[in-house]
Parts: sequence; C-alpha cells; structure tokens
Amino acid sequence: MNTVESLVTQIQGLSGNSSDLSALHNYLKQAEESLRSELSRLLPFLHQLDPSVHSLGYLYILEACTSSPVWGDQRDMIVSTTARFITFCAAEQIRMAPDLFINVCKRFKEQVMLLEAPIRGVAPLLAATRKVQLNSEHLTPLHPDFLQLCLLAKCYKAGISILEDDIFEVDQPRDFFLYCYYGGTICIGQKRFQKALELLHNVVTAPMSTINAIAVEAYKKYVLVSLIQYGQFSTSLPKYTSSAAQRNLKNFCQPYIELAMSYSSGKISELESFVQTNREKFESDKNLGLVKQVVSSMYKRNIQRLTQTYLTLSLQDIANTVQLSSSKEAEMHVLQMIQDGQIHATINQKDGMVRFLEDPEQYKTCEMIERIDSSIQRILSSVELSLKIINYHKEKPFRCYIWAKYN
Amino acid sequence: MEADDEIYANGGDDSSRKPIISGEQLDIEAYAGLYTGRTKIVRLLFIADHTDNTTMQLEALRMAYDEIKKGENTQLFREVVQKIDGRLGPKYSMDSRWCDTVDRRAEQRKERLENELNAYKTNLIKESIRMGFNDFGDFYYAHGLLGDAFKSYVKTRDYCTTSKHIIYMCMSAILVSIEMGQFTHVTSYVGKAEQTPEALEPVSVSKLRCAAGLAHLESKKYKLAARKFLEVGPELGNSYNEVIASQDVATYGGLCALASLDRSELKAKVIDNVNFRNFLELVPEVRELIHDFYSSRYASCLDYLENLKANLLLDIHLHDHVEVLYDQIRCKALIQYTHPFLSVDLRMMANAFKTTVAGLEKELEALITDNQIQARIDSHNKILYARHADQRNATFQRVLQTGSEFERDVRAMLLRANLIKHEYNLRSRKH
Amino acid sequence: MDLSALSEALASESYERIADICDDLMLKVAAEGVAFQDEWPYAIHLLGHFYVDDINSARFLWKSIPVSVKENRQELVAVWKIGQRLWTRDYAGVHEAINGFDWSQDTKIVVTAFSELYTKRMFQLLLSAYSTISIQDTARFLGMSEDDATNYVSRHGWIVDHASRMLTVKKQPLVAEQKLDPDKLQRLTEYVFHLEH
Repeated sequence: MNTVESLVTQIQGLSGNSSDLSALHNYLKQAEESLRSELSRLLPFLHQLDPSVHSLGYLYILEACTSSPVWGDQRDMIVSTTARFITFCAAEQIRMAPDLFINVCKRFKEQVMLLEAPIRGVAPLLAATRKVQLNSEHLTPLHPDFLQLCLLAKCYKAGISILEDDIFEVDQPRDFFLYCYYGGTICIGQKRFQKALELLHNVVTAPMSTINAIAVEAYKKYVLVSLIQYGQFSTSLPKYTSSAAQRNLKNFCQPYIELAMSYSSGKISELESFVQTNREKFESDKNLGLVKQVVSSMYKRNIQRLTQTYLTLSLQDIANTVQLSSSKEAEMHVLQMIQDGQIHATINQKDGMVRFLEDPEQYKTCEMIERIDSSIQRILSSVELSLKIINYHKEKPFRCYIWAKYN
Repeated sequence: MEADDEIYANGGDDSSRKPIISGEQLDIEAYAGLYTGRTKIVRLLFIADHTDNTTMQLEALRMAYDEIKKGENTQLFREVVQKIDGRLGPKYSMDSRWCDTVDRRAEQRKERLENELNAYKTNLIKESIRMGFNDFGDFYYAHGLLGDAFKSYVKTRDYCTTSKHIIYMCMSAILVSIEMGQFTHVTSYVGKAEQTPEALEPVSVSKLRCAAGLAHLESKKYKLAARKFLEVGPELGNSYNEVIASQDVATYGGLCALASLDRSELKAKVIDNVNFRNFLELVPEVRELIHDFYSSRYASCLDYLENLKANLLLDIHLHDHVEVLYDQIRCKALIQYTHPFLSVDLRMMANAFKTTVAGLEKELEALITDNQIQARIDSHNKILYARHADQRNATFQRVLQTGSEFERDVRAMLLRANLIKHEYNLRSRKH
Repeated sequence: MDLSALSEALASESYERIADICDDLMLKVAAEGVAFQDEWPYAIHLLGHFYVDDINSARFLWKSIPVSVKENRQELVAVWKIGQRLWTRDYAGVHEAINGFDWSQDTKIVVTAFSELYTKRMFQLLLSAYSTISIQDTARFLGMSEDDATNYVSRHGWIVDHASRMLTVKKQPLVAEQKLDPDKLQRLTEYVFHLEH
C-alpha cells in the first residue's frame, strides 16, 4: 500500500550519482504499472521532490500524473508544475528516459494551448528542446512544437534562436517537415527571406513517397518568398526532388504559379489585377499579406532593373517607368531602397534626378578579408561534411539504396 | 573635341546621302510582269486585298481578271469577279458562258484522262502511268484543285525510273505546296530532290535553294533563309518565275541577311559575294541600304527601309515578316552604332536613327536589359556610357556566392541522405 | 514580477539591451504562470525594439497585447503610433508621433533617447542618399525647425543655398579601420600557396 511512499524514498535516496541513477531507473520501470494505478494521489508527492535534483524520479511520477485527462484548476497547476520541472530538471537525468520526457512536454504543449496561453510554453519548450537534444545537429520531436508555440504566441524572435542550428539528424520526417514549415513562417515574419527559402526548399525537395499537405503549403510560400527575394521563380525543381513532388506540387498551387508568371511580365497593373481576382484564394491560404509584399517588391525589382540601364534618371521618368503616381513617390521608393542597401544611388533633389552608382565594395577592406576567410572556413567544414555523407552509413544495403535513389 | 568628331562621323553625315529613288507607288504592271502562272494571279489578289489605295486595288484586280481568263480556273474567276463587284464596268463582269464552257471542257478532259490512265494501268507500262498521274496533277493544278494536284504528283513517285523523274516529281510537289502554303512539305521535297544520286543541274540547285529559303522565311528562321537565298546562282534567271523572281531573291535574301548575320558574315556572304551582287543590281535600293548599313550610314539605311516598307508589305511572302525583320535590323544598327565608343551623345544618335531622345532611351534600355549593349544611360546629360565590367570585383562576388551555394548544397544533401535512411529503415522494417 | 534587470539597464542608459531583457523576462514570467499582461511595461518594451531597429518584433509584440490592455493605456497606444510610422517608413511622421504626446516621466527618458538616435539615423540616411536636398525636407526628416536643421547640417559641412532653399550634402569619407588579425592573413596566404602549387 505504501508503494508510492517507498518509491519517493527511493528517488530521494538514489538520485546522487550515475550508478545509483541506473539502479533507480530499473526500479522506476518496474514501478510504472503500480504508478498508473495510483494516479489520483500522485500529485502531492511531487512536493517532496526537487525537480533539479530528483529529475528522473520526478519525470516518472509527472508522466503518470499527466497520462490521464486533466480539468479546470488542476490544468493550471499541472502546467505550472511541468513548466517548473522542465526549466529546472537535470538534462543528463531526463535523457535516460527521453520518450517519457517528450510525452510530458507534448502534453504540456497541449495544455497551454487549451488554456489559450501559448506564451506560457515558449520558454519551457525551448529549454526542453535543448535538454533532450543530443547535439545541435539533432532534430528532436519537440522542435516543431516549440516553433508552433512561438508562432501562436507571436514570439518570433524566440523561435529564431533554434533555427540557426544546422540540422542533419532527423528521427521522424514529419517532425522535419513541420520544423521547416513553421521555421519558414517565422523567418518570413522576421523578414529573413534567405533563411526562409532554405527551410521551405528543404520541405519541397525532401524525399516523400506521396505528396503531403505540409509540402503543398510550403511550396506556396516558397513561390512567394522567391519572388520577394529574387524577383523570379523557376518551376523546375532540382532533380533529386521526389517524383511525387515533381508531379503534383504545381497542380495544387496553380494560382501561385500564375502569380509568378504574371510577376515575370514586370507590369504592376497586371499583377495587381491578378491578385485582385484571386484574392479569396490567397486569403483562405492565409498568404494575402505575403502576396502584398510580392506586389510591392515589384516596384523595387523594376527600379533595380533601371540601375542596370541608367547612370542618371529623373525621378519623373522613374515614376513613369515603374508606374508610380508621382516623382515624390518614386523618391521615397528610391530612398527606402538605399536605406535597405538594395541599390547604390544618390538623389539630387535640385535637378529631380537620381544617380545610380556601382557597388562601392572594392573587396579590399579588412572586413571583407574576414568574410572571405570565414567563408573558406565554412566551405572546408562543408567538405568535411560531404565526406561524412560518404562514410555516414557503413551498412552496404543502405548505400545501395542511396545509389538507386540518386541515379 | 576629337571624340565629338567621331560621334558626328557616326551616321549623322547628311552630305553624302544619295537621293532615294525607290519607294514610289508600286508599278503593278511591271511587278506582275516578273511572274508567270498561278503565282502571278495570287500575288495580284494579295495586293488587292492588302492595299488601301482603291486605284491600285482595281488595277490589280483587272490584271488578275485578264490573267485568269487565259487559264481554266473558274473558281478563282468567280472570286475575282465578286471582288471587282462591277467597279470595272461591263467588260469585267461575270462571264457565265466562259465558265460553263471551261467547266464542260474540264469534265470531258477529266474523263479522257481517267480512261487513259486506266488503260496504262492495265498494260502496266510504268512510264505511261507516271505520265498519266502527272497529267492529272497538271489538270488539277490548272483548275485550282491544289490538294488533288499534290496527291497526283506524289503518286508518280512509284513509277519514276530515273533521277530526272524524281526531280520532276519533287519540283511539282514543291510548286503546289508553296501555293498551298504547306511549307513543311516544301522542306521535305527539297530534301528528297537534293538526295537524288545524280548531280543536279545548276538551275535545279538554284530553284531548290529558293524554295528552301522561302520555307525558312515562313518559319521565321531568318538566318537559314538568308543563307539559302545568298547561295542562289545566276542560272536562276527567269526560270522560276512561277514561284519567285530574281528581284525577290535580292530583297528576301538581303533583308534576312541584315537582320540575322553578324558583321563579318555580312561582309563575306553579302558584300563580297559576286553572285549575289548581280541579284542586288536588280534592286538598287536594297543594295544601297545594305551598303549604308555596313558603312554605318544608318540614317540613310533607315530612310531606304522606310521607303520600301509600303511595297514590301504588299509582298505575299514578306508581308508577315516585315515588322520583325525591321525591328531586328534596327536593333543591330543600334548595337553596332554604340559598339566602338566609350560615350555616345544621345541627341546625335537619336538624329541618326530618326527618333526622339526619349524614344531612343527606351530602345537602348531594352537592349541593355537584354545584355545586348554593355552601357548605361546618363539620362540627365543625355549621354550613353560604355560599361566595362570590373573583373576583379565580379570574381570576388562570384567566389563568395559559389562558396555559400556549395555550403548550402552540401548541408541539404547530408540532410536528405538522413531522410532517405529513415525511409530505408522503415521499408526494411516492413519486409 | 522581478523587473530589476530592466530597471538596471534603464538606470545605466543601456537602452539597446531593453528589448532582449524584456523578451526574456516576459517568457520567464509567462512560464511561471504569472498573469503579467496587466502590469507589463509594454511601452518600454516596444521602445526597446524600436531602439535596436527591430520593427518586426515590435509589431508582433503589439499584436500579442490583449485588447483590454490596449484600451486602458493611452501612452501605449501613442508609442505604437511611433511604431506604425516606422513600419510604413513615414520618416517625418515618426517625429510628429514622438512630439505629439505628453509622455510620463519613465517613458519620456526612453522616448527621448530613441528620438535622438532616430535623428542621427535620419542624418546618416540623408547623408548616404542625397547629393542635394531642400531645407524643408531636411527639417522634416530630422524633426527640427528649418533653422535648426540648417544649423545642424551646416556643422557637418553641408552648403546652404539660400536662394533656392537647397542644401548640398557633404559626403564624409569612410574611414575603415584596417587592422587585421595576422593569423587570418597567414591562413589566406597558405590557401593561395596551396592552390598555386
């Protein structure tokens, strides 16, 4: 009858060193069944434990506590308890039972969403992700959950921290798809379009046997961000892209492909009327904001094109060429582009002219030398990585499989 | 100041400009006199359909009427009468009696040809059968049944016994195909004719080049068309007037060459081409404008072109291509004009190209965007400056870009390898 | 709610740290289950984002603020008005929004600091983007009277043409420090050597 009490004693006694902990772990595994039968009276026992010291034992009890549905006030308490546990628990202990820990975190995420307080989960899930991660290249099942909470809580900046890692090890493709999709959305919000493209591109070109909804949504955003970032979009995907994606993506994203085609005409009025007629589709995809950025990027694109052609040009001519209503409006566009470093130019208000300059970068400064040096360093590490690809899996059948895929 | 002088020398030199003698209203009679057979009629009708000058239209219709009456094509006759619509008086009205007579005679002749052909077939005399089909081809052709004519000529193929016969068959098929506007047939029968084992007579070679040139022209392959027309020999003379006149060889070939050949090829294949020079002598305006172009007298060249335009638009084969060819010639002239200079005064250039500075800016803008001219426009001072790419900076830029692309690709590859591994594990677990 | 880190940053005028401090603190108190929204220093938090030119984060923060809070705090709304002008790049409007509200003592310190920084940013922008510009526009961009603006830019060597009311911008030569880590140079030399042999 005193099993829980004795378990707590065991936990208190056996959380000191690694040999004690593995003994405790065995004990806990055996006790899992009996814990489940005592669900109702478990919670108070947690007060006798310190999450940072007795992390493994705490985890087992907490996992059992959260395994049944919770209601009302209890929900708030569970959320607070779990948040504190995740924040303070010892990484090396919870990594002995990572599946349990992930269960706890996932339930925690569901609870904060039910409470409509996603912000309560942001910091704990970031901590949880870092704790359960074996190294920074490892994608955990918690990555997508964390990013989703960042999106819901509008804490985009917090999400960026985790997106800066290069991910190579993936347990579940679905986690990876979601990670890239949510990550791409966060980067779009922070206007980090280059990184967003990289993430979305990963989804679109990932191996998949059938097309999935995440890939379709990612492709839509990929089209739009390509237009904003590069002013063009090519429908041809790299040859390693799965045939499922090659065959189907375009069909699912017809308005987006047409938008890109309309964009390539360079005519703002055409693009605007296309957006107007397809407004509802973009709106229901929740991409209308991004589509509007595509439209305004066309002014920039057209002005940029002028810099290739003209050394000087009057503001009025710029306004006429890129279909802006006045020379003042043209001046403001040019000014913004100078501010953002998108063109090199000076405005001469006296004559109403703009002088376009060549890129002043002479590749002579220390800063540039440092950039080149760091680029070489990164490339060398990439070379090492590519060797890693070759040696990655020694098992022969897998290598044959890869060859069959790539050739 | 010297640089300025150079700019002036480029195209704006009015004193040496020759008076332009062509471009007067088309002399239809002289024009029609260049052709024989069906093409004469069709070209006249084409002019009538495309001119907005009523006098000219009626003149063309009148000549077409007279020409048709010499033949047996009652269908065409009815059409032309309808087009004249009584405007040329009673002499050029419907002549039903003539039509009936011609049609009746045609019936009888057809019957006779059928009987003859059947007789040849039973006797299995190859040469006679060939002749029989050939007669049928001629018969249908004369009556305007081009599809049937084509079929009949092609049927002679199985009964050809010499290379000459084959060439004859090809020539007939080409003629009908051109009239039908079926230029893929033209290309294929030119190929067949050129493959005959025996050496072709020079005049046949020239005819085939004309036909091939027309086919390339129709499919907008102007460079190939130019090369074919430029290779036509002097033997052609008037021998192919049922299709093309020597003057056409000069015009079609000259314009296609200007539009599509680079400067050195223009020099070698047009200006220094003795053969082609003889053709050009027949159309002095084209000769002059080519020389003007080559000697960078663009204003004069464009004058000639502008003056010729109205007449070229009345040409059955050139009509659809005039605008495109003109645009291409103009672009090439613009590019060639700017090429040798570090800076060009846009006002002077606009003068040379008979346009406004603003219009010229737009044209140059398109060419620069298309990377056909490496320069930038100083719209404030109206000067075009040549742009010389800084190779050092470009290299740095490219190196950095290639580096980051490589890095990104490697990382993406490693990631994919892992995803594939997952797929693989999943499969091996299933099995 | 322990906001001492924020107070400390404010006291030491380290305004560039406000955004990070507030972001972290907010996530921390949220995780602890504290109902922080009603007391949260949103105005300062927003200004912190403006200060480090992170208008995207400012916008998302604004979006996350409960409607009830927005309704009850005039000053917060006034701060966001600055944000809107920044977002739409209404350069002159930013100054108007700054001057158009009677700020409380605490907020005023940060608003003033931001205002000074923004004027400097605008001056740098004009310097890089214009060769000539009217006195009127300069005043609007810098948020000053025309006389003050003329004096301000004259001190930086700009030339005033009173007749046309135009200013000629004096470009400042870029002085980049050319100090290089010898290790890096050595490494680059080795790469080149490696490539050539």
